[in-house]
Parts: sequence; C-alpha cells; structure tokens
Amino acid sequence: MPIGGRKVPPVAVEKEHARVASTISGREVDLPPMWNRMFEPRVLTDYGPEGFAAISRLPGGESLEWCYGCGKCTPVCPVDMVGEYGPRKIHRNVQTGTDLFAVADLWLCTTCGNCLRVCPKRVDMIAIMPAVREAALSSSAVPAELQDVFEKTFRLGNALGQSQRRRAQWAESAGVPVRILARDPAPVDVLFYVEDYWSFHPRGQDAARAFARVANALGIDWAILGPEEKTLGDSQRLAGERGLFDSLFEQVTATLAKYEFRRIVTPDPHAFNALVKEYPQRGQSFEAQHYTQLLAPLISGIEWARELNLRVTFHDPCYLGRQNGEYDAPRTLIGAIPGVELVEMGRCRENAYCCGGGGGGMWLDGFTSDYTSERLAERRVREAAGTGADVLVVCCPYEVPRFSDAAKSTGHDDLRVCDIIELIDEATRIGTAGG
Amino acid sequence: MSSDKVAVIGGGPGGLCAARSVAEIGGEVLLIEQRDFLGGTPVAENYAGLTPHGEPAQPQIQQMIEAVTAHPKVEVKLGAELSALAGGPGAFVLTLRGSKGAETQTVECGAIIIATGFSHFDPGRATQMYGYFEFPDVITQADLEAMLSAHSVIRPSNGQAPERVCFIQCVGSRDRQIGNEYCSKVCCAVASKEAIEIRQLLPDSKVFIFYIDMRMYGFWENEIYWPAQEQHHVQYVKGLITEILPRGDRLLVRGEDTTMGRPMEVPMDLVVLSVGMEPSRGTREVAKLLGVKQDKYGFIEAVCGPLDPVGTDREAIFVCGAAFGPADLEDTVSSAASAAVRAVGYLRSLSAAAAN
Repeated sequence: MPIGGRKVPPVAVEKEHARVASTISGREVDLPPMWNRMFEPRVLTDYGPEGFAAISRLPGGESLEWCYGCGKCTPVCPVDMVGEYGPRKIHRNVQTGTDLFAVADLWLCTTCGNCLRVCPKRVDMIAIMPAVREAALSSSAVPAELQDVFEKTFRLGNALGQSQRRRAQWAESAGVPVRILARDPAPVDVLFYVEDYWSFHPRGQDAARAFARVANALGIDWAILGPEEKTLGDSQRLAGERGLFDSLFEQVTATLAKYEFRRIVTPDPHAFNALVKEYPQRGQSFEAQHYTQLLAPLISGIEWARELNLRVTFHDPCYLGRQNGEYDAPRTLIGAIPGVELVEMGRCRENAYCCGGGGGGMWLDGFTSDYTSERLAERRVREAAGTGADVLVVCCPYEVPRFSDAAKSTGHDDLRVCDIIELIDEATRIGTAGG
Repeated sequence: MSSDKVAVIGGGPGGLCAARSVAEIGGEVLLIEQRDFLGGTPVAENYAGLTPHGEPAQPQIQQMIEAVTAHPKVEVKLGAELSALAGGPGAFVLTLRGSKGAETQTVECGAIIIATGFSHFDPGRATQMYGYFEFPDVITQADLEAMLSAHSVIRPSNGQAPERVCFIQCVGSRDRQIGNEYCSKVCCAVASKEAIEIRQLLPDSKVFIFYIDMRMYGFWENEIYWPAQEQHHVQYVKGLITEILPRGDRLLVRGEDTTMGRPMEVPMDLVVLSVGMEPSRGTREVAKLLGVKQDKYGFIEAVCGPLDPVGTDREAIFVCGAAFGPADLEDTVSSAASAAVRAVGYLRSLSAAAAN
C-alpha cells in the first residue's frame, strides 16, 4: 500500500514529441527545444543503458557512456555558451531517454575539440558525433542545408556548388604566374592544395592571390592542380559523410598519383587535418604542411616594402591549433610583418574559441540559429574587438567570411578581418591597400 | 602479577589480524569471540566477494582463521563474552561469560585490543521511506551479498530474476535526522562491486546507482567505479531517491535527477539499500565495560589524533577496525597490525622497566 495511506502513486507520463499546428495554415512544425521544453513532461522516467548501447556499437561511439558528469567541458564548449547544447548534457540526455540520432543537438557540435582537451575521462565527442551523424544520415533528420552541401560536394567536388572549371580562375588576376600541373606536369616541390574557399569564395580568392605573390617573391617552387582539384571533404566527414570522404579520397589520391611533388601545402586546416590524420590511416602518407608552416622558416628572406602600423589579434583555427598542435607558425609570420603588433585574446592557442565553422557548422548557420542565441563567430568577434585590435587576422579559409559577417552583424564594422597572408602581401607592396 | 598476554576482543578480520600480528612478533594472544565461530561480519552476513576486487570472501577469511588457530601462541575462546574488567594496565583481569550457559571464567592479560567492529544500519529504523519491511523487493547490500553468494539474484516477491535493479546510496549515513552524520566509507565501492556482479550474473539486467557523490577513494576509482561504468554499463545517476512507491508489480523510485534539475520516477524490479555502518552491539558494550571514551555515535574514540589512530583514552587499551569508525578491510587490517605492535611494545617496555 502507498506509504502513509494517502499518497497516490504518480503516473509516469511518456515523453511526447512536441509538434505544434499553425492555426492559420494548419501546417505542423517542430518547435526548437528551448520552447519545446515548456510542453514536455517535467518528470524524467526513461532511464536506461539502451541509448549508450546503440551509440557504443558505432566505431568511435564507445566513450559517450564514460562521462561521470564533472562538467569541465561546459565552460569550454563554444556552443554551450550560446545555447542548451553541451557534451555533459548530451550524456545525461541519452541516459534519460533522448534519441541522439533524431535530435537537433546532434548537428550543433562543431567538433572543435575543446571538450576533449579538458575531459578527465577522455569522452571523445570528435569521434562520437561523426559516428552518430553517419548513422543518422539514412534517416531524414539531416538538416536540409547540410544535405545540400553534401550533394554539391558529391556532384561537383566542392562545397560551394561551383563549376570545377573555375577552380583556378582566381589565379588569372594574381599578377604573377601560377603554374597548373595539368598543363605543366614537371616535378614540383610544393603542390599547393587550394581547397574550396580560397578557390571560389571572393575573399578567399584575395588570399589565394596574395599567397601566389608571396610564394613567388620567396622563390618557392610551387604549382596547383587547378580544375583537377577536388575538396578533401574533411568537414563533410565530421558532419557525418564518411562515405563521401572515402569516395573523394579515392579520387584525390588518383589525381595526386599523376604528379611528382615533394610535399602538399594547404591553406585549409581541415584539409591539413585530413592529410596528417585520415590519409595515413587509409594507406596514403604525404608530407603535409599548412601554408603558415611553409612560410614561417622562409619569411626572414622576404623584402618588406613598408610598415603597416596595425594592432592585430589572432584567431587560432581549431584544426591547426588544438587539433594539430601548431600555434607558433602563424605567430612567427605575424611577428615578422613590419609595424604589426599582436595582442592576444583571452581565449587563444589551445583554448581558442571556435568560429563555428568546423564539423559541418560552416553549412548549418540557418539551422543552428534556431538553437543558439548568437553565432559563435559573433561571440568571437566581440572578444577580438575587446582587445582594441584594428585587425582580426586568421589563417583558415572559413574564417574570413564568417568573421566578416559577424563583425557587421555585431556592429564592429571597423574591425577588419583578413588572412595573415594578405597582411604579408600588403607589407611587401608599395602604395597598395591589399589584394 | 603482571601478564605478558594480549587479549584481542572480537574475531572478525580486525581481531584475526591483530591476533596473528601479536603472535608473529612473539607475543602471547588470547582471542575472545562472542559468536561460536571466527570470521566476524563477512562470515556472519555471508559476504560473497571482498571489496575492491571481489575475490571470494569465504576462502580468504578462512585462510586468516587458519593462520590464527594454527599458531601456537594464540589461544581462542569462542562463545565468550566480556562481562567485567578488573586490575589495571599490565595486569588486567577479564571476566568472561559463556554465551550458552551461565559459566564464567577469569583471564589475565597485560594489554587489550578492541576489535568489536560494526553492524549494518537497520533500514527499518527511524525512516520508513524506503519501505524495507513493506516491499519484499527492497533489500539491503547485505541481503544482496547473501544472494550473490548463492549465485542467485532474484526478486523476493516472485522468485524471478530482476530486469531493473537500483542501488540507493547513503541509507543511514550522512543523515542528521537519523543521527549518523558520518560517511560510512565503503558503501559506494560495495554498491559498484555488487552492481558489476549482478551484471555478470544477469547480463540482460539494467543496473542503476543513485548517489549524492560517489566516494571512490584511491584506486577504487579506476579499479571499480570506471570499469563498472565503462565495461559493465552500470548507470550512475546523481540524485538520491526520496521515496519508493508501488506501481503495478514494480517499484517506482522517486527523487531528483540533480544534474538535470528535474524530478525522476523510475520503475525498478529490485531496490538495494546501501546501508551504512553503525557501532556493533559488542562495540557499545565492550566500550562501557572497559571504560573507554566513545564518540557521539557510539564508536570508540581514537583520542590521540591522526598519528596515533589506535590509542584510546585508557593506557594499554587499543582499538582497531570498524570499532572506532567506518572502515574498509584495508583500513581494518592495517589498524589491527598497528594496534598489535603498540600492545606488544607496551608490554615489552613494562617488562624492560621491571628488569631494571
């Protein structure tokens, strides 16, 4: 009998899927969790190991259930600062009945890796999230804008949906010759893997042209693949499309096999990450460098034309810094530019705040906006502006467009955003204001 | 009339270790046990496995017993209960009462080691919120140990194997209302160890531990807690259960999931109460008969501070194991050996002084 004779056993209510029908159109919509929660039963009742078991079965998913709830991930998770998502909460949600394969949280992680850096139990969201996303791809849960990028990448070999014929168009206005291997297949020292955003995005193309001028000025023997180049697709992989990555791997390695080169250099930390971590696992090991690593030992040989008189702050890309340990090469370059003073942000180097572009975040801004109070790039731009810097300098192709937009939307129009290579180029040319 | 004999009161792991230690360093020992058998609570409560590693308890304790009973310097008195103390340090006279008849005898000793241990908190006392006596499927860790010893974990209500089992931590510990404000130290590890054993015995079962904070000292963290979670898939949920209500033929455990900040109501087939430690009846009575100081909970007080944890407020009377507070097996045998050295050392310094 109930204790004390008066208590009535409560009825445990099953969780309901919160859908709301519009009174005007009759259309049913899913409400994002921050609203959805108001309609959910308060009482948790679906406790069990089943959710962990389903995720543990996926290669890479084993460690989610290792979480013991210390919460150290919370203050370093960039998404947790602007929304309800957080690694510790993912663990508790799964333990209390949330189907991670079917909720928005699955797509909010940028795989920035800062939670793993501080996790005492080594719960590896950078392995868990891509594994669960891959399994979820077969359902209709993939956000449409991400699906669109997957399809563009599959069809065209780049995330921007551009014609591959235009891959090397940027080089025509570089002002220096840029060698394309298909036309001139002689052996080369540096195969420069331009990747999507420096190939196609207007601000990326500015940086690519700046690189061409600096590389030529330094006498580097380099060439590009041009129309033969396809993206390595590392962010697509982390967003769940391992199959697409593997297919691109076959195509990319077949192209690379046609040419003789000593090393691959790329401006894209995501491509760099694929070359140093994923390609060797698949039996293809190249000497790979980020462009800052190529230039850092050579920069003392450059002929500077002027002092820039700028105060700059630097944003460490997650996939160059935290994920691959390179913090010094970009700073060496910045320090070499005449008249440039570097002021660091509070969160820098291994604790750098994510721009929001990694792990598919680059293509989920619309989706993410339903679940976050502001974009990660906006938060980061505020921090950059807080240093009093004139320029936020970066060295990842995702970041110039992301931070430029964020500077405008946060009212920091006077904060200039550019790649390190653009400042170097500027300081070597007399009387010009950038590319 | 001085005696060079050490009396050890209590024949559990602490008393056995103290007796063996005294004998091994050349002292004479009288081991007094009120029960008719040696081994103490692990034997009386039919423990299955020892914490932390779960080695079978009975053979391990049996080895300790044999080492003591086989030693020529040890005399064992079973079924004997202390009823009076006379004399003083170096020349105590103990009156022992037989447990069955009224026969009494007196024995002499120079020093005393109290190893009278603990008893499990009685979950029927003071709080009825977990319904230990109302619901057949609410049991204690000790009840579960007996089931594990028999390799048969069942729901007492129907004899079936439980599908969902949970542990509720801190029952009778850390509780001002009950009067036991201390942490009982071992229950987190025992619950985790028993959870692993249930998962091994019943692979289809789902096992939960509801806790305030998991107190897994030292290597218990990586040797019990982490494997329980990572390899045996025990579900740890932060937040204690407030009450248990019947729901159909199951039990509904209700509490707050504190990291989610929400109430929880979770159906269970078997609920295990992680009951804490209290001073045993023997500890309370022996303390009074010997006139040693007790703390407010009834444990014998180790008055000399952290660097002399086995001394009492009476000269030549030492204490070890759970008689002076919650203790695990490692604590118990360590303090027992320490008390043995102190007792023998005391007697030797007396005889050295007498020889001069």
